[in-house]
This record gives sequence, structure tokens and C-alpha cells, in this order.
Amino acid sequence: MDPFSSPSPSGGSSGQTIPSADVLMDQVKTQLAQAYAEEFFETVRSKCFTKCITKPGTSLSGSESSCITRCVERYIEATGIISRALFSAHR
Amino acid sequence: MDSSPELQRFLQEEKQKAMIAEMVGKLTSECWDKCITSTPGSKFSSSESTCLANCAQRYLDMTMLIQKKFQSMQQ
Repeated sequence: MDPFSSPSPSGGSSGQTIPSADVLMDQVKTQLAQAYAEEFFETVRSKCFTKCITKPGTSLSGSESSCITRCVERYIEATGIISRALFSAHR
Repeated sequence: MDSSPELQRFLQEEKQKAMIAEMVGKLTSECWDKCITSTPGSKFSSSESTCLANCAQRYLDMTMLIQKKFQSMQQ
């Protein structure tokens, strides 16, 4: 059975059945979560490349690697700071 | 499949969440550029974390100011 159809009630007809609402909602949530994750990855990659790889050499130096690690941690932390500032601001 | 109200509500909710996620993402990106000017350290300095929080709040202030300005321009 392909992942996009729900089980048919009888063994009868072949061909795609329309997914139930629950299956559809789960698929949408999964796809959205994946899209968010991919976008976040891309943003962090871009920001940390800018901050840490200022003069590309023939390999990643130790200082570049640790800069990148710190950069990723700080960017995640920054996202949290911004979220909290946006949602605790009561006007 | 008919568009059940449950599905409509779900889609509305997810649309809201997506809009919020986009705003957080965009704001974090811009405030990072404004506030984190040196090489990232193992923690934020207090001026860096203050700057980030201020940045988000000033963005909200600015949004309200722009809305008011647009409203006054329509009258």
C-alpha cells in the first residue's frame, strides 16, 4: 500500500483511495516540519559561513571548526531570544 | 473528500504557525546581522543578548508606528 492512501474498507477495488483527514493532516505536519528544518539549516549555514570562513584555505582550520560550532549554538540561542522577545511583549 | 471544518481549522492553524515561523526566522536573521558583529563566542555577551531582545521589540514598535502612519495617510 502506498503511503498516500488509507486502507480501503473492502479488498475490492484497486487504485488510489482518497486519504482520510487524519492522514492528510499528519502528512502536512511532517512536510512542514521538514521544510522548516531545511530552511533553518540553510540560514545557519549561510550566517556561519559569513562569520567564520573569512579567508578560505585548503582545509577547515581548527579555529574555523570551533567558530562554526559556536556559531551554530549562538544562532539557535539567538532564535530563542527573538522568539521570547516577540511573544512576551504585551502591548 | 469534502473540506471538513476540521481540515479548514487545521489549515488555518498551520498557516498561522508558518507566518509566525517566517517572522521569527526573518527577524533572527536581521537582528543577528545587527547585533553579532564579532566572531561568535561560547556565550553571548550581555550587550549582544540585550541587543537581540531590543531588536525584536523595536521591530514591533516600528510596525505599530508604520501602521499608524498608514492609517493617518488614508484620512
